[in-house]
Amino acid sequence: MTTLLQTPTAWPRVLLERATDGTTGSTRRASATETTLPDGAFGALVDAIRDLGQGGTLEQVTASGLRGRGGAGFPTGEKWRACAAQPSGRRFVVANGYGADPAVFTDGALMAADPWAVVEGVAIAAFAVGASEAVIAVRADAGAAIAGLESAILAGEGAGFLGPDILGTGWQLSIVVRAVQGAYMLGEETVLLKALEGKRGQPEQRPPYPTERGLFGQPTVVNNVQTLAAVPWIVRHGARAYAAIGSSASPGTMLVQVRGPLGDGIAEVPIGTPIREIVALATSGDGDGHPRPKRDGTRGAASSRSTGSSRTTASSSRQGATPASATKAVLVGGPAGGLLPPELLDTPFEFEALRAVGAHVGSGSIVVADQRACTVDLARLLTTYCSDEACGKSIPCRIGLRRLAEIGDRITTGRPKPTDSQLLVDLAHDVAESGLCEHERLATLPLLSGMRYFGPELDEHILRSSCPAGVCRPIAVAGKPAPQPSVPSA
Amino acid sequence: MSFVPGLGMLRGMALTLRRFFEPKATIKYPEVKADYATKYRGRLQLLYDEHGTLKCETCFQCAQACPIECIDMGGIDTKGRFHVHWGPPETYGERREESALRRSGRTVPDRAYEHFEPIPIDPVVAILDRYDYDPKEMLRILEAVQDEYGYLPVSAIKTISATTGAWYAMIYGTASYYRHLRFERPLTTIGICRCTACLLAGAGRIADALEDELGSRVGSVASDGGIRLARLDGHLPGAPSPLVTIDGEPTREITETNAATWIRALTGRTAA
Repeated sequence: MTTLLQTPTAWPRVLLERATDGTTGSTRRASATETTLPDGAFGALVDAIRDLGQGGTLEQVTASGLRGRGGAGFPTGEKWRACAAQPSGRRFVVANGYGADPAVFTDGALMAADPWAVVEGVAIAAFAVGASEAVIAVRADAGAAIAGLESAILAGEGAGFLGPDILGTGWQLSIVVRAVQGAYMLGEETVLLKALEGKRGQPEQRPPYPTERGLFGQPTVVNNVQTLAAVPWIVRHGARAYAAIGSSASPGTMLVQVRGPLGDGIAEVPIGTPIREIVALATSGDGDGHPRPKRDGTRGAASSRSTGSSRTTASSSRQGATPASATKAVLVGGPAGGLLPPELLDTPFEFEALRAVGAHVGSGSIVVADQRACTVDLARLLTTYCSDEACGKSIPCRIGLRRLAEIGDRITTGRPKPTDSQLLVDLAHDVAESGLCEHERLATLPLLSGMRYFGPELDEHILRSSCPAGVCRPIAVAGKPAPQPSVPSA
Repeated sequence: MSFVPGLGMLRGMALTLRRFFEPKATIKYPEVKADYATKYRGRLQLLYDEHGTLKCETCFQCAQACPIECIDMGGIDTKGRFHVHWGPPETYGERREESALRRSGRTVPDRAYEHFEPIPIDPVVAILDRYDYDPKEMLRILEAVQDEYGYLPVSAIKTISATTGAWYAMIYGTASYYRHLRFERPLTTIGICRCTACLLAGAGRIADALEDELGSRVGSVASDGGIRLARLDGHLPGAPSPLVTIDGEPTREITETNAATWIRALTGRTAA
């Protein structure tokens, strides 16, 4: 069960406006079967059609500064304009709710908690670009989300907000929910389009962008469900109100899932919030891992917290002055994210700021690693994951990532070559520069950011063949006492 | 350094000797297989002799060996009489057979046809009817076929290819890409979650231990034991980390240290 974390009351709620705190799923599964419209559902669609019109809606979304929540942060208004400007009789809107990161359920939780906002957002997007067909792609295992969306679409069609001749305008729209599964790469937009066409999921060269030639060769808007779910709010409250939320470069809110030894949960955070504050929501600490006096409602999942703390006490003696539960690294952005040291916890959770420090927004995932983790081992495992998930279309990705993972293997098993660190950097940059899609550009981040911020630990592995955290094999065989860290203790 | 007679020769011989005792890079192919990336599909390269003539004799052995029949070729037959060119990959299945066997002058067992298990084809036809023989619905057709048979039989894919007009190689490409589609009957599957939280908690090392024990990589099937190691698509909400499942049931029993015992128990193997 995924926990929705309680956020400070000062933080605005855009995406989870209608969701209740607590767990998603059991309470919301009941709403999946009811087909009555909740209060205010499709109100924004009516506003968009009657008051704003097509141009006005595009205007509003552009003025709000809404940016894509899929990770790249492309301005949504510009994307819609580009699609609407294409001369074509047939356009598509695709809502990407696949949520490829296996550790993150933000998209599924959003669709289960408020399918209405997603469906309405899709309808407004379709109206703005003049599309009459829309697809919402969902993970096949997200049953609650699929049921919720389907009943929302049925109810909308029953009430005349979807289907043929909407509100007497003559515009028609059919929305289909498609369950897709089977590959991490499906989170990438062109790969998702391939899957919807029934083909092997491999990315396409861009340009032409999907806004010119997308699904079945027609102009297509591909947006994350979180992006689309914010659109009804923008239409209802106005672009200015939305632009006021979050940071000025990328306004609005985003769902973030925090995982770590101390807690786990999803929170809606304004973009630009420092990572430390987001982590503190789940761990009920100050982000450094130091417990803070308990405050009602701010704790994450109680069960995972208790197991976490019991495990931490066992190994805390080894680390000397640093408690084992103290944060060692924060992985931001999912499997292909960046490992950040605790000193960078004050970095705002925002597209440009995170890119600057070597991480990225990605799937909106923040994983906290404490002192028991070995960052080199973690970076190696993440690179192996990315290399396993590579689709095989572009050679730098298929072979380059494999070689990177092998270098990581060599380092963690105590047989590095003297040139390995230089080779790793060179190869990572070559892979990133010749990448076909974002996957390979980002897949180098774990190793690169690990080298950048955890250089001493990497040197321990390469030069002294020892793992300070006692994790890597066969340097430190698991189960046996770890070798004493050779770093002089302060 | 001053000139020492014979030093250059000694240096050269030293290199020769060093190379002589270095481990060899040759992979003895049929016995030892190179460790290719899971989705590596290879690249065809034709060789030329010293006169610049193509060495390919259009013998069709490569086309015959290709499991997905994507190799296509044209050329002159051995007597220099007939120009042979074979059309789109899936159409030469029958003609290639006839030609290659005639060429060799004897009946050669064709490995490509051995796995053509006959299956009751009616369910496939019903599924194709439901999706209107539309290649754009290929993913859903394949999923429905797998629901029906438990796996994707080659005959079913042949039927789909023949009726929808989609190339066999394309369908095979689609089916081999998505992780939930499979070509063999289901086996015992050990799923390992590869999400970041599980990796942190040691799932990667459990996977390494299982891979070492089984001798197969995650995502492929062990040659003897009938055990498949698979990546879980997502972390079950509320499940422990690291999440390992046996046939879908989460278990906390398998750890890095007892992986070998578990594999022995599951395969019925005794301790070596």
